[in-house]
Amino acid sequence: MKPILSPELLRRLEQFQLLSKRRAKSSAKGERRSRSRGQSVEFADYKSYTPGDDFRYLDWNLYGRLDRLFLKLYEEERELPVTIFLDASESMAFGNPSKFDFARQIAAAVGYVALCGFDRVSIAAFPDSMGEAAVRGALRSVRGRKSALTFFQNLAALTPSGTAALNEALRRGALMTRQAGTAVVLSDFLDPSGYETGLGALVARGFQVSAVQILTQEEVNPSTFGDLRLVDSENGWQEEVTFGRYRLGAYQQTVQNFCQRLREFCQGRGISFFSTTSDTPLESLLLKQLRQAEVWG
Amino acid sequence: MNFLAPAAFWFAAVLPVVVLFYLLKRKRVVRLVPSTLLWQKFLAETQASAPFQRLRHNWLLLLQLLLLILAILALARPYLAHTSPGGQIYVVVLDASASMQSTDEAPSRFEKARAEALKLVDAMRADDQMVVLQAAAVTEVKQSPTSEKGALRRALQNCRVTDTPTRLTEALKLAETLIQNRSSAEIHLFSDGAAEDLSAFENSGLPVVYHQLGNRSENLGITALDVRPHPDDPSRRVIFATVSNFSTNTVTTQLELSFDTALLEVKSISVPARESAPLIFVATQERDGVFTIKLSATDDLAIDNTASFVSLLPQPVRVLMVSGGNRFLERALRAIPSVELSVAPALGATAPDFDLYVLDNVLPASWPEGSIIAFRSAHPDWFDGSVPLEAPAIVDWKGSHPLLRFVHFDNVQISESVGVKTPSWAVPLVESPQSPLMVAGELGRQRIVWIGFDPLQSTWPLRVSFPIFMANAVDWLNPSSISARQLTVPAGSPIRMALAGNVTQAQLRLPDGTQIEAEIDPVRGELLFGDTSKQGVYRLNTGTAEILFAVNLLNAAESDTTPRSELQFGRYARVEASTFRRASLEIWRWVAVLALAVLMFEWWYYHRRTA
Repeated sequence: MKPILSPELLRRLEQFQLLSKRRAKSSAKGERRSRSRGQSVEFADYKSYTPGDDFRYLDWNLYGRLDRLFLKLYEEERELPVTIFLDASESMAFGNPSKFDFARQIAAAVGYVALCGFDRVSIAAFPDSMGEAAVRGALRSVRGRKSALTFFQNLAALTPSGTAALNEALRRGALMTRQAGTAVVLSDFLDPSGYETGLGALVARGFQVSAVQILTQEEVNPSTFGDLRLVDSENGWQEEVTFGRYRLGAYQQTVQNFCQRLREFCQGRGISFFSTTSDTPLESLLLKQLRQAEVWG
Repeated sequence: MNFLAPAAFWFAAVLPVVVLFYLLKRKRVVRLVPSTLLWQKFLAETQASAPFQRLRHNWLLLLQLLLLILAILALARPYLAHTSPGGQIYVVVLDASASMQSTDEAPSRFEKARAEALKLVDAMRADDQMVVLQAAAVTEVKQSPTSEKGALRRALQNCRVTDTPTRLTEALKLAETLIQNRSSAEIHLFSDGAAEDLSAFENSGLPVVYHQLGNRSENLGITALDVRPHPDDPSRRVIFATVSNFSTNTVTTQLELSFDTALLEVKSISVPARESAPLIFVATQERDGVFTIKLSATDDLAIDNTASFVSLLPQPVRVLMVSGGNRFLERALRAIPSVELSVAPALGATAPDFDLYVLDNVLPASWPEGSIIAFRSAHPDWFDGSVPLEAPAIVDWKGSHPLLRFVHFDNVQISESVGVKTPSWAVPLVESPQSPLMVAGELGRQRIVWIGFDPLQSTWPLRVSFPIFMANAVDWLNPSSISARQLTVPAGSPIRMALAGNVTQAQLRLPDGTQIEAEIDPVRGELLFGDTSKQGVYRLNTGTAEILFAVNLLNAAESDTTPRSELQFGRYARVEASTFRRASLEIWRWVAVLALAVLMFEWWYYHRRTA
């Protein structure tokens, strides 16, 4: 089986670390600065000694000067939970390469970067699939670089099917997460019920959200013309349309308008947003675009 | 609003076709796509599909239907009836005489003339008016003045060519009255000019446009036919025929004589260019029947290649001579072969019926009802008084009258006569300066020849003209010869004939086989039939007897199909043939049809480019 990411790309990804604008709130220790006080090398503050405090943290220099006992406090380093919402609906199976393969590669890359940074990674693939319950369970709360191989294997075992319910999946993910961290949403966002409430729920829960919209080249620039009856792969809805080259511009404008509305929604809520097509070179997206957008650095 | 071409409404059948195009479901290619969300948004933004599929919102369909309806209306040529004083009036005189059947113009001169007249109709402006006259033996107004082109076309299509001569003078006089008081008028004469002399029509200012038909004269025609008893053998018949050659070459052909359906004789004849040749057949006739002569030549005009003559067997003429004694008169009468003469000194009241009464200087107590030759005897009703004349000099006589054929009054002296004024029922045949000496005419149904002097008081019985006159008189007054003459009718002339017995209804069979109810004058017991426009043998069946009539063209002016580029009106005026005017044909219909085609193309193209 072809590996999801090439060794060369993995090696280059190891240089990156997910950037977080927020301090880690996780209870588990990690390598992220947090507001909590604890053990680390980063000095944070002083506090008056109270009986029972650890003598090891007394600042003897201050005691010498002031003849009072002060305790040095250090920043506690916590882990950054990274949740990747991966759209595994039927619509993601289209494209060459398919949108799902492309999204899976991005998820693998983000997950690998997070694992290398000792962050906890969860893949939340939606919609639910009973057949893949074990695999999907194994993709939750993965930590440590040594778990990367298993992580990749489990990721590769996912298959797209079913109807995406983006809003519901994101809202449920936001509720179920104990500590908010970084959330990456990988989807085509082509859900008739919309995406607004789902993304809004993530933001409200305190996630730092990055949204990556993946479309196929056929969706952006259709090459099929004539009198068509289009059948929706997810819900079977049919749409009759007479489409000619002279209407291509109007269609592309529609796609642009859709993406622009999504972009504006994201910008309004501090969500990093990318729109890409499944045939975009992966390296270019991971090593240039996401880096420029300070998803990682 | 009316329509000149209501047949165009058949195009309305196209309207449902347009609707059908919109109702037809297009065959669509089924494609599985990730999501139709973007397409829904696209359709919603461009308003491209669903609203357009509903007829009630489909302006494109409504516009197309409207365009179609307008185009169909245009094709139906609606018009509003109104009177316009400013238009021009055209009087179309269509010559429908026999000569127009000439086939030198394809298919015939008449059809060519009709086509040209139809072009003239097409070229009419909306406020112009036109009258259609068909000129043959009788001028018929086929269409009174109208601007309605449909009616004019129908009128022209209803014109039928006849076998009769043309009376163009009558047609032109009618046309002249139609354009009186019209400032702008034109008479369009479509004719070949083969007509009688137009010298009687003197009008130099008439706006006649002469459309001349015909381009050559290749015609040989029978221009005269007569059948008479053989002078030596009354049981045989002599058939006189005249064949005229109106072409520019000498023509040699054959002339066939048949009696009823039996061919009797064929003679070869050669007629020099532009000349006539007489031909005489002698045939034995044993029963009443029809002599038909036929030219076997093939020429442009076929109608004058045949002529028929109804010939009846001669009947003896029963003549009663009432005279105190006149040997000259008696001998002259007895010399006539067909006469059965009876002589009586006075006319008795119970005398049997005679065909002819010769009254020689007697005044009968009761006047007979048959034909009469009266010498110095006159019925009180015939003349308004009389005066004696002493030695009247004969100054003039009418040699063209059948009574005076071969009769001359040279060296005839009269010692005394009765002077009268010519009555209205008679024509003077022999005249002196003071009074007519001989009159002949028809009073009621009685033919009368009146001579004002006693032959014995003149030198006339000593002249050769006297027995000839008596022979002519017996022939002219003989009732059976009168009816025999009535059996051969020039085409276009009415048939009028007294029917023997009490006939109230009869069937007339026309040459083409059509059978019609003949019109019988119930009071006078006369047949009256006017529509003799077709040449041939007409058969009248009265129930008890069959009477045949032969209708012939026998008209040299009609047979002369020489194209005439100039018509002489009267002594001074003349009109030259115009070259056919290039009529401006209506092409808007084709433009409208083109518009329809463009509309259809637009529909096709609109859908093609979506593919």
